[in-house]
Amino acid sequence: MRLIARKPSAGAVVAAALMLPWICMVAPASAHHAFAAEYDAKKHVILKGTVTKMEWINPHAWIHIDVKKADGNLEEWMIEFGTPNTLLRRGFTRDSLKPGTEITVDGYQAKDSALRANGRDVTLPDGKKLFAGSPVADAPYKDPGK
Amino acid sequence: MLMPAAAQQAATPQQPLASQLGPSASQHALDIGQFPPYKPARLPDGHPDLNGTWQSMVSADWDLQDHEAQPGPKPEINGVYGAGPAGQSIVEGGEIPYRPEALAKKKKNFETRAMVDVSNDKTWHALGDPEMKCYMPGVPRANYLPYPFRIVQSSGASNPYMLISYEYASATRIIRMNSKDEAPIPAWMGWSRGRWEGDTLVVDVTGFREETWFDRAGDYHSDQLHVVERYTPVSPFHLMYEATIEDPKVFTRPWKIRFPLYRHMEQDFQLLEFKCEPFTEEMLYGRFVKRPAP
Amino acid sequence: MTHRFAATLGIPAMVIAIGSLSLLMSQSPQTARKPATEPQRKSATSPALGSSEAPALKPSSFRTPWGDPDLQGVWNDATSTPLQRPTGVASKDILNDAEAEEFQDQLANNLSRNRRDGGSEVDVNRAYNEHWMDSRRLKVTADHRTSLIVDPPDGKIPPLVPISAERQKEHDERAAALARFNAGMPNTYLDFDLPIRCVVRTDMPPYMPIIYNNDFQIVQSPGYVVIAPEMIHSTRIIPLDGRPHIGKNLHEWLGDSRGHWDGNTLVLETTNFRPDTNIFQEADPATFRLTERFTRVDARTINYEYTVEDPHTWTRPWTVRIPWTRIDPAEQMYEYACYEDNYDVSHFLGGAREREKRGEVAQPIPHLPSVQ
Repeated sequence: MRLIARKPSAGAVVAAALMLPWICMVAPASAHHAFAAEYDAKKHVILKGTVTKMEWINPHAWIHIDVKKADGNLEEWMIEFGTPNTLLRRGFTRDSLKPGTEITVDGYQAKDSALRANGRDVTLPDGKKLFAGSPVADAPYKDPGK
Repeated sequence: MLMPAAAQQAATPQQPLASQLGPSASQHALDIGQFPPYKPARLPDGHPDLNGTWQSMVSADWDLQDHEAQPGPKPEINGVYGAGPAGQSIVEGGEIPYRPEALAKKKKNFETRAMVDVSNDKTWHALGDPEMKCYMPGVPRANYLPYPFRIVQSSGASNPYMLISYEYASATRIIRMNSKDEAPIPAWMGWSRGRWEGDTLVVDVTGFREETWFDRAGDYHSDQLHVVERYTPVSPFHLMYEATIEDPKVFTRPWKIRFPLYRHMEQDFQLLEFKCEPFTEEMLYGRFVKRPAP
Repeated sequence: MTHRFAATLGIPAMVIAIGSLSLLMSQSPQTARKPATEPQRKSATSPALGSSEAPALKPSSFRTPWGDPDLQGVWNDATSTPLQRPTGVASKDILNDAEAEEFQDQLANNLSRNRRDGGSEVDVNRAYNEHWMDSRRLKVTADHRTSLIVDPPDGKIPPLVPISAERQKEHDERAAALARFNAGMPNTYLDFDLPIRCVVRTDMPPYMPIIYNNDFQIVQSPGYVVIAPEMIHSTRIIPLDGRPHIGKNLHEWLGDSRGHWDGNTLVLETTNFRPDTNIFQEADPATFRLTERFTRVDARTINYEYTVEDPHTWTRPWTVRIPWTRIDPAEQMYEYACYEDNYDVSHFLGGAREREKRGEVAQPIPHLPSVQ
């Protein structure tokens, strides 16, 4: 658990004392498995590739990318994402990430070393982050060091 | 639906029957599947009240077209359990108008209907009848599965949605009344938009996942599937259901199916749970289970 | 004290309204069920249960055309307010505006998927950034409570009672399966919980918000309320005519629900949970009792409240209140097929067998790093 080191106020005291992850506070019927069970924290990967297919499915959307290796060979990776339903409610469409798009994926590789990773971040060549940004203005980036 | 020659010729089939059969004419009409004229009960907004728990009685889930009785899988173990009855085609004209080149896939579907292989994501759906795997059955198949479903119909503009809740796999459809929205992504139960034409509920369904089948005989479609359903109350206890199926990639022309839906009249009847996923886990994932069990 | 405190600080009227509504509510008389030879059908001409004696209502109250309170729409219950009041705010059940904003900001920061602190062990769990999450999950409830639990007053789950040896064994088996799962080495699909197996997710009552797809479609018809949660595409078809529950030998994952109107509030009693299931908070399915109450507060709000009770698990009943916000027509609920495309199961199981072939022996992990 991470303590927030800043001048205590009522809200901060409350939040700092938050012991449990949110997901543990809900019914045991949790709908989101922990990534750490499937993906290896020691296998951080940065994959630059071209989108070949986008599977807008539940429980996880999957992006398929062809990653060019140093030796010129192509590796086919699949990247696990979240539920498309939430994106649709935010105005995204199934055409939001079309085949042929060049992207960089920041994630962690599967423990069994399959060419599979969970998608931490997706960046376009111009630096724009796909699916990123917070809907809450300014939050949540209160730098705890300040 | 096959009808006797006499009934097919007449604009009002009861007339020749009345002249020939006298007082037995109306009973004969029932016997050959004709409903007397009917004015349905209505909800406050004036539309017919389709609320109820319904179920079909055709054996179309085995095969939409004419089919003989057939044994189930492993009759040497299961005997009659799992066998299928004979049934007459519910397709208008009798046959599904496949494009000649599309028939090969139907044949392959049928031959591999009882196989599964989920070891490779790329071919996850290549084998096996989705119904066997407890996948959602799509439309119109959900309506002629041998299980009940409930139509939930509200009234008034404040809630422009109807629901159809299927006992099988707890599949659910939301029908968006008078909506012009397009399907955002493909769905197993499609994207349904409803409207009333007189006393008929017309539901336009698009946005299908291509993986659903029409029946256990391997009848199938592509991602271009477009279904238009018509639900018409024809008695306090029956809806007449019609669906027009269109898919230019697979069929040479649109085609229609038609059959009655029957109201469940058992006291306090309700849908029960048929979450069949646990029945298929060993079939799908048994190959990955640690053996011998620790 | 709560309401006076809230009024002093100008907390939104919802908190006060909830208290007032509970005073207004009166028991509506139950019409005796007529024995019938066919199912009773509520048509336009037959009165809805109790409607002829409903209390006089304001013109602005929400009613269906046949006279029932109207709960219809697409609703969302996402929030960052925790179930239990965090330690350190023992007596603070409601925050003032400034405190609430601070509380929310800190919770949002804790919950943020874009944080990079904590090292890779923590970071691996932060995949999917905010756009894959419910847009309302970083907000505290409008009434600024510090817990979703409203009773007991300390905002905590009551003390547990000792459980039977049999239940302890089941609990331990589940914990062992989870530990294998966390290590990425499950033995069988039964090592996964029901949500991962795509059998039930947020549709098993009582309803609790999680990180995404916290949506519910409610459609009513004469004599019924139907609740369709997004995950996993199921419907709860709730008759209001006083019929008995299904027989005691029938069990369901979602239980069997019966409803009635208590003034403007829909009251649901749910029984017949499956005895082999890990139900809410690991309660005992045989003695668990659940009562839920839905009250339409205004055009965009339902007050959802539930009381759970199980003498085999808790020393006393406890009650949770979660506001539901209407999201349609701007936002809609979509199909959540799950079992059909659940690659995870073959990835997890196939991956475990692959690692075993390579001689990997992973130690079971009881708890993964705490992170949102």
